[in-house]
Amino acid sequence: MRKLLVYLKPYRGRIALATLLMAVSAICNLLLPTLMSNVLDQGVYGAQEANTFGFILKTAGWMLGISALSLASVAGGYWVVYHVISGYTWSLRSALFRKVHTMTLAEVGRIGASNLVTRSTHDVGTLNWVISMLCGSIITIPLMFLGGVFLCMRKDFRLSLVIVCVVPLLLAAVLLMSKRIDKLWEISDEYCDKQNDLVRERLRGIRVIRAFDRELLAHGRITDATRVMADNIIRANVRMAIIDPMAAFVLNTAALVIVYLGGVRMERGSGLTPGDVFAMIQYINIILGAIVSVSFAIVMLPHVRVAARRLSQVTESTGLEDDRPARDLHFDGTIDLEGVGFTYPGSALPALSELNLHIGAGEWVSVIGGTGSGKSTLAELLLAFRDPTAGTLRFGVADAHAGPWDRMQDAAELSPKDVRANVSCALQKSMLYAGTVAENLRMAKPDATDGELWQALEHAQIADFLRQKPEGLNFKLEPAATNISGGQKQRLAIARALLKDAPIYLFDDSFSALDFITEARVRRAINERLAGRTRIVITQRVVSAMHSDRIFVLSDGALVGAGTHAELLERCAIYREIYTSQTGGGAA
Amino acid sequence: MSTANHPVKKEKSRLFDETGKRLLREIKPLWGWILLSALLCLVLIGCAVAAPELLGGLVDRLYAWVKAPGPGLAKSLLPGLGLLLGIYALQGAVTYGNSYLLNNVVSRYFCAELRIRLSAKLCRLPVSYVDKTPAGDVIDRMMEDVGNMADSIYGIVEILLTGFLQMLVIAVILFLTDWRMAIPVVLLSPLSVLLSAKMATLGEKHWDKHFNLGGELTALAEEAYTNYPTTKAFNREAALQEKYDELSMRHQRNGIFGNFLSAIVQPVIVFVDALAYIAVAVLGGWLIVHRNLPIGTVVTVIFFARQLSAPLERIAFGLSFVQHVKSAAKRVFTLLDLPEEHDPSGTVQAPIRGRVEFRHVDFSYDPDKPLIRDLSMDVRPGQKVAIVGPTGAGKTTIVNLLMRFYDIQKGQILIDGRDISQLSRAETRRLFAMVLQDTWLFKGTVAENVCYGSPEATRAQIEEACDCAYCDHFIRRLPQGYDTVISEDSTAVSSGQKQLLTIARALLADRSLLILDEATSNVDTRTELLIQKAMDRLMGGRTCFVIAHRLSTIVDADVILVIRDGQIVEQGRHRDLLAQKGFYYELFTSQYQI
Repeated sequence: MRKLLVYLKPYRGRIALATLLMAVSAICNLLLPTLMSNVLDQGVYGAQEANTFGFILKTAGWMLGISALSLASVAGGYWVVYHVISGYTWSLRSALFRKVHTMTLAEVGRIGASNLVTRSTHDVGTLNWVISMLCGSIITIPLMFLGGVFLCMRKDFRLSLVIVCVVPLLLAAVLLMSKRIDKLWEISDEYCDKQNDLVRERLRGIRVIRAFDRELLAHGRITDATRVMADNIIRANVRMAIIDPMAAFVLNTAALVIVYLGGVRMERGSGLTPGDVFAMIQYINIILGAIVSVSFAIVMLPHVRVAARRLSQVTESTGLEDDRPARDLHFDGTIDLEGVGFTYPGSALPALSELNLHIGAGEWVSVIGGTGSGKSTLAELLLAFRDPTAGTLRFGVADAHAGPWDRMQDAAELSPKDVRANVSCALQKSMLYAGTVAENLRMAKPDATDGELWQALEHAQIADFLRQKPEGLNFKLEPAATNISGGQKQRLAIARALLKDAPIYLFDDSFSALDFITEARVRRAINERLAGRTRIVITQRVVSAMHSDRIFVLSDGALVGAGTHAELLERCAIYREIYTSQTGGGAA
Repeated sequence: MSTANHPVKKEKSRLFDETGKRLLREIKPLWGWILLSALLCLVLIGCAVAAPELLGGLVDRLYAWVKAPGPGLAKSLLPGLGLLLGIYALQGAVTYGNSYLLNNVVSRYFCAELRIRLSAKLCRLPVSYVDKTPAGDVIDRMMEDVGNMADSIYGIVEILLTGFLQMLVIAVILFLTDWRMAIPVVLLSPLSVLLSAKMATLGEKHWDKHFNLGGELTALAEEAYTNYPTTKAFNREAALQEKYDELSMRHQRNGIFGNFLSAIVQPVIVFVDALAYIAVAVLGGWLIVHRNLPIGTVVTVIFFARQLSAPLERIAFGLSFVQHVKSAAKRVFTLLDLPEEHDPSGTVQAPIRGRVEFRHVDFSYDPDKPLIRDLSMDVRPGQKVAIVGPTGAGKTTIVNLLMRFYDIQKGQILIDGRDISQLSRAETRRLFAMVLQDTWLFKGTVAENVCYGSPEATRAQIEEACDCAYCDHFIRRLPQGYDTVISEDSTAVSSGQKQLLTIARALLADRSLLILDEATSNVDTRTELLIQKAMDRLMGGRTCFVIAHRLSTIVDADVILVIRDGQIVEQGRHRDLLAQKGFYYELFTSQYQI
């Protein structure tokens, strides 16, 4: 929590100014009942004097001025406060976003993309909202309370004790209750999520549900969940509904006590006036209004705690990527894996073990294997998203920048930025960004001409599709590219990878949504365009792999075969098994 | 959905337009409760009126004592104080009771019932609706919108009952107490409401923009975090950060105005109240001095004036959410009123032999784009039909038609000579078992999932089916065996194992016809072999339709339907189709080209 407040530091001056303005307004509000009671008292005591009405008018003038000052200062206060809060929220969001992009892939995966989204949107939003709700009251309520007590004490010390006792008790009661309610809300939120999940599950499974004629069962499950959810919402709401009447009753009773004690003390001749009693009742009303208006914000306090805790999970994350600066190295395309192994933290079995591969510059190799064979882990190693936990992965470095070191450089010693600058990739999930096709492609080469873009699109077999669109290269992709098909997404991702000029190209399962005809065309175009560059195709389709120079077969994280298609068919049982299962065996 | 980018068009509508009237009809069963709540509100109004009157009287007594001091002042206050204490207690209890009542009415009898009705509606909607509509949209209507509609009940109670009544009573009493002082109070209070309403509309513009930008910001964060590997792989972190910061800045700027305007509504009301307060003070002071008005009257007027702003705020508040209640209600009613599936009641005669005929069938999802035209085929009992074609060509359309998820537009589909459009949908579907690539499992135990299509199956039968489908061995290794709770995204079972479970589900259901969608990806070789064996076992002797990805399936199929751009371009056996050297030939040979 304290770490999150650091971002408030640049605003210290403005926070002080806002506090001052709020304080002025609070004091003004407190003066009003006192002035009013003066008017009333004057009406009684000074009825005989000639200038009584003049005095009343003068006091009224003061009241008007003070009210206007109060309004002006509170408006000014809020103006400053909201600038501070929005600046604070902005810097918090910006910092979170930056932080995520310094974390390792493993850390991002551990926290989860959807959780990270919740942190930067919902959690920051909650913090922002509650601070906005509370900022005014945090400053004014204690002031109202202290000022009210102070003014009461000036009127009558003992009477003021009633307020001194009651208000903190009431606040404590509200806080205590909010804690209980918080738990109830948590439960009802849980049921709400459950209900959402049920509906989502049902809509997704509509075909199966209808196929088996189980709509009534699905409906029954939702009906039950709805009733349970309603019960829980009611429980939380009803508990919360206690706060307002309770606060009102306690403070109104305090007012009655003051009237009574006021009577008693007047009788004893303590100098207390009826106007003083009246003013005190007004103070109680002011305090009551303040408490009621914050009671629901106080209920939000536990949410702030939760939000703050979740935010600091991100801001204090230590899973950071190697941030050594890039040296603008140029790779020559050779890749060496020597006894490379990788074990996920907390996992007993290695995802990759004892991998010995040498990929020469300009070679076209494929890596084939099923789910869990470790082929995606290999892709992550090649992109420096993870470092091998055993053995060494080396890249050949071509240029003079490399200095006196060995030509082959350990990936662990290189900046991840350098590795990524030299490996162009199309990944398993073809991740595209909302925006135009041109914007998406230029990620790979910011200064590419339209001609270059069209050429890459041509090679990826997607140019025809875009030519049919009136917008052409400026065809806009929706978030997550929902307005094009899976195959089109993959081809755009391939075009992007092709556009980048790099010695090494990595295609991680990026043909899976293409039909055989399109895939064959893409394959042919890639091989023409990228002749002489290192190409690594990671796939589970034997058709995608069988034509490459060499095929590596992975199974359970180990290399079980390497060679050409023909060699493997002869030597490698697992390869043969994959081939048979996918093609029906020798159908060629 | 892209709607976030387009500002929703605001309709300036009157309170009781079509939607408003419908809303009132919908809450008809609740009128009894609402009236009860109104009665409670009357009690509250009574308390609200009596308390200042009494309190004013007590303060008056203090002033009277100042003019004519005597003994027993405190004691003389006691009866009044006791009465007030009783009123305050009553007020608290009734306030609480009323919100208890309203909460139950709203949550239990309104929201829950409406949600259940929507859920029942889902049973009768055509699959096409669910296909077209994002799940989030339906969930929004069921949860968010219904929740917002609940506000209408609070709105009615607040606006019509508490607000207006209380305001009226207080205004009348003010005039009765002292008409001269009542005038400024009654004139100034509406001013504060007008001002606050004005500021609310002013702020609305900024809020709308703020919310829209917020949606964009969320989308951007979501995209950035899910695309993390790609961003990093292309070294684009800095560019993305700049974009995010800029959007976030615009988002915040709009928030400042919205927040500011909302925040100063209350101080403005306080200020206008203070004006009324001052007017009463001046007028009251003058009346006390020159007209000998009792001070208690002034005090009472002040107490009432304070009470008058409360119902006004309520009315303003109530009216302000009528608009969003109505837009929510409209969305809910639209869903409730959607046309339902027509369902005839014909039944089939057992036993089913499994002959399937398509006669001149026409079908399209979109009337402008004809899809299937004049499709005819005759599948004899026990035959295997393979459906092949490029991705996205519409292979699942055949499944949609056979299962009557969609209705054909022309022609006939006959099973054992009987037109399926004469049968009830459930009856048609009961003929088929279906294994889809998209393995749907619901949140429940393994056993519950396997017997989904045959709820009366015994545990022994379930285990037998699982054994046949090669599931038994891994189910037994799960922590609670057959009673382990699994779901769509549960990691306890792999995607291949989920596929096997759906095969077991189909085996147990034991239907005469079969629809299979072969898995293409995300399954390891060994599981894939098992799946293949299990599917073969399932197909034995049944008429089946297979969306084929494997050559082995295609090669020995009795009929191959070649689909391209949603149309069946070729049909026949493997060898004949190859000999035609048409699209099938191209499709088949392309995979062996370099």
